[in-house]
Amino acid sequence: MAKITIDGKVMEVPDGTNVLEAALSNDVKLEHFCYQRYLPVAGNCRTCMVEIEGPKGNMLTVGCNTKVAEGMVIHTLSPKAKAAQKSAIEMLLLDHPLDCPVCDKAGECKLQNQYMEYGLYDARRDVPRYFKGGKAEDIGEHIMLDQERCVLCTRCIRFVDEVPKTSELAIVNRGHEAKIDIFPGVRLDNAYSGNVTDICPVGALTLKEFRFKQRVWFLKKTESVCHGCARGCNMTVEQNKGHIYRFMPRENPELNKTWMCDEGRFSFDHYQTNRAAEVRVGKENRNLAYGIDQLAKLLQDIPADQVAGIASPTAALEDLYVMKKLFEKRFNPKNLAAPFWDKPGDADNVLKVADKTPNRQGLKLLGFDTEGKDLLARMEKGEFKIVLMMHNNPFGHDEALAQKVYGKVNALIVLSVHQTKTVEKGAMVFPVRTFIEKNGTFVNATSRLQRFRQAFEPENPDVIESSMWLACLANALKVEGFDYVDTPSVFNAMAKEVEALKGLTFNSIPSTGVVLAGLASVAEEPFKGIKAQPNVLGKKCEGECSKA
Amino acid sequence: MADFEPQLTKRFNVKDGHTLKGYLATGGYESLKKLFTMKPTEVIEEVKASNLKGRGGAGFPTGMKWSFVPQNTGKPIYLAVNADEGEPGTFTDRYMLFNDPHLLLEGIICACFAINSHTAYIYVRGEFYEQIQRLNAAIDEAKKANYLGKNIQGSGFDLEIYVHRGAGAYICGEETGLLESLEGKPGKPRIKPPFPAVVGLFGCPTIINNVKTLCSVPWIIANGAKAYAALGTQESPGTHVFGLSGHVNQTGYWEMPFGMPFMDFLNNYGKGVKGGKLKAVIPGGSSCPVLTAQECEDLTLSYESMKAHGTMFGTGCGIIMNEHTDMAKVLKNLTHFYSHESCGQCTPCREGTAWEDRLLKKILNGEATAKELDLMLEVADNMEGKTICVLSSALAMPVRSFLKKFRGDFEKYLVKNTVAVPEKVQ
Repeated sequence: MAKITIDGKVMEVPDGTNVLEAALSNDVKLEHFCYQRYLPVAGNCRTCMVEIEGPKGNMLTVGCNTKVAEGMVIHTLSPKAKAAQKSAIEMLLLDHPLDCPVCDKAGECKLQNQYMEYGLYDARRDVPRYFKGGKAEDIGEHIMLDQERCVLCTRCIRFVDEVPKTSELAIVNRGHEAKIDIFPGVRLDNAYSGNVTDICPVGALTLKEFRFKQRVWFLKKTESVCHGCARGCNMTVEQNKGHIYRFMPRENPELNKTWMCDEGRFSFDHYQTNRAAEVRVGKENRNLAYGIDQLAKLLQDIPADQVAGIASPTAALEDLYVMKKLFEKRFNPKNLAAPFWDKPGDADNVLKVADKTPNRQGLKLLGFDTEGKDLLARMEKGEFKIVLMMHNNPFGHDEALAQKVYGKVNALIVLSVHQTKTVEKGAMVFPVRTFIEKNGTFVNATSRLQRFRQAFEPENPDVIESSMWLACLANALKVEGFDYVDTPSVFNAMAKEVEALKGLTFNSIPSTGVVLAGLASVAEEPFKGIKAQPNVLGKKCEGECSKA
Repeated sequence: MADFEPQLTKRFNVKDGHTLKGYLATGGYESLKKLFTMKPTEVIEEVKASNLKGRGGAGFPTGMKWSFVPQNTGKPIYLAVNADEGEPGTFTDRYMLFNDPHLLLEGIICACFAINSHTAYIYVRGEFYEQIQRLNAAIDEAKKANYLGKNIQGSGFDLEIYVHRGAGAYICGEETGLLESLEGKPGKPRIKPPFPAVVGLFGCPTIINNVKTLCSVPWIIANGAKAYAALGTQESPGTHVFGLSGHVNQTGYWEMPFGMPFMDFLNNYGKGVKGGKLKAVIPGGSSCPVLTAQECEDLTLSYESMKAHGTMFGTGCGIIMNEHTDMAKVLKNLTHFYSHESCGQCTPCREGTAWEDRLLKKILNGEATAKELDLMLEVADNMEGKTICVLSSALAMPVRSFLKKFRGDFEKYLVKNTVAVPEKVQ
């Protein structure tokens, strides 16, 4: 650790940290464009200028490329430092098109924000503007490039060079004619291309999926975890009035840094289309209370041993816990399993893992049989009259096999997010919430327990969390011990019983998750062989300092 | 200036001086005999003692530079020779390369021996086609005669030299821009630290030296640091090839020890100013602050005198301007050059050079007021010392000195002073 002074404030930072990182992680404001803490330092924007005291007088230099040293005295507010920061912003804005009213970055643009902080002067470029050209060029499946808005910070170039290692982008031309471009004949179509739009400090790189869809200041952001694969990249759900406009990666230094794959990023539409909408009992759409009531009546006359439960790795830990508890207390826990017939997807050494479900490790944690061979064999023989099917879609995965296995079941009770083939087969169907509409936890492939929060309430009040639905059913069946008020209370009860979760409460889970001791990891750590952390990070700093 | 022996230009008028035969006949490769009896550290100490300064423009002591190379990294050490002579007004290295390529090779051998390098690259400006041919021919000859290659002259020292032809960007003359270009990338100066002596070419320790710096080394080895330091002045020992261009009756270059009064140089060698009285001098390449005629009165050709006059020695090639010169148009030439040659990496340089150019264009077109003149000065302040390399400062310094010393030349173009709008400047 090195003891340094920034603007009179004494602080300790790890050795090897750079001055900019030290400032940002200790709540000292210092503006910057080109620095991104998970990319190598470029030092070209020249906005993080600081004055450092030295034996031969003060030195004006960039904070990002200056490593701290014991006793270093740094000024970010001295007249010389301020003047340098201010003039760099003025120069960056010199030929900027100022098309903020039609720019999707407006509201989260560093150039805009820093102008408010450092600018507010009258424009002094009373010479003809230099037009760079290159408006709205289609450069990739998801990406549009506006060269004239670019500030040439090279973050995007360093990203494609360092993380996906695909190097599609480069600077062409020199001096004030320099601009970012893709190589001829190449498209920016790598599996992580969306990240370049997050790190673009201005509106030069934008997502086709977000362009002209919503102004960023209307978006409400909720901490969440990607559902797309077992990596569980941290992200925020950004929505307005219950419509999701985008997923954005959320910083987690120990997991996804500030990145996420395109597959996960653009999965948001999946959660708002083709949804199971209404409670269905037989062929009629009814309300939730009626459905639960009918189901309870049905179950009352069936021997407990003839009820099976099919869970899923796409359900949250809380859903699985309540289902297990219900089977323990009312039915037979031996008749509960989680066979999920999905096929593994593609994996890479960056973030993606082959398991495309978010919570298979959670099933393991709660002791679920994830194959359910014995159960399915008995199912095939017709030992079960009623099957509770939660977040699982056997008919969608393998219709013939599902028909064979579940053909003799009298009534499939389906809890589903989407309108699936299994839903069509259901005797009773209860639409439930996606992970976006509820609170909950997943355990990822590297055994990290991660919390996601509810972004909004679904329009239909009958669409509830699976865990709450199971609790309602338990109460209707007059089983004791299911007086949960919400998902966090389920988690807190579960944490008292499950050894690996002891001592945790829903709200005490760190926003970056916690690795569960005693649960073996089933995947490689991310960024294998990729130097994704070239900078020594200061004290943990979440949110703004890293992302934009 | 009679009693000194030319070191750098002595073969310029020797027939076949550029060939190995001609070179050996005039004392070539003599220094190697002594070199190989010395230890590398002794060579560095000798060069340190001579106080030889880098001739590329910055004037950094060469021996000290060599001593920065870490010898324990386990990585190869490289020498990169900067023969990318591109500073406007500077034209002496090209003659060195053309007339005496073996002297450079001998200097490279001395330097590589001192820093324990076995590979050297000569980065030559792309336009120097004939020089590149001569250099390659010299390397072939030297290899055949075992002045290069394995076990040079039985010393046990190995060295290979490669010539790399640049593609014509001014910025590749900046040492780290040169390294990037050598590596096959766009010539964009690297951010420092790390410094090239530690992390240079291909990530290995690298020393970058100018052509004339290296050409001075064999003489120092052969004759000793004391003899070298006895030449010139205390701060600027040795000899240099000084050049004159612009409004002089005799343009050209002359080798002589440091310390000659500038006016003597101008009048005796340049045969005086052509077309009128002296108005201004850019003393060492276009990026040095300009001097007025009055300031040149007590100027001498040395690092210290240039510094005392608020300018730089630079490359030692002066640009002379007579009284009829329009300094605003001279500066326009420079702003155009630097805005064109900026690599575009750092904001203040990329935007600042182009802004200065546009401001000056506005002034020359008679569309500006005193506000623009002041803005030019302020932009120059915001450019200087705020970037990765010194290209930004290389324009800021002329802008500031031109406007300070010759403001009248600019004011005559201002709106209220303009009678007839002069021809439009593009």
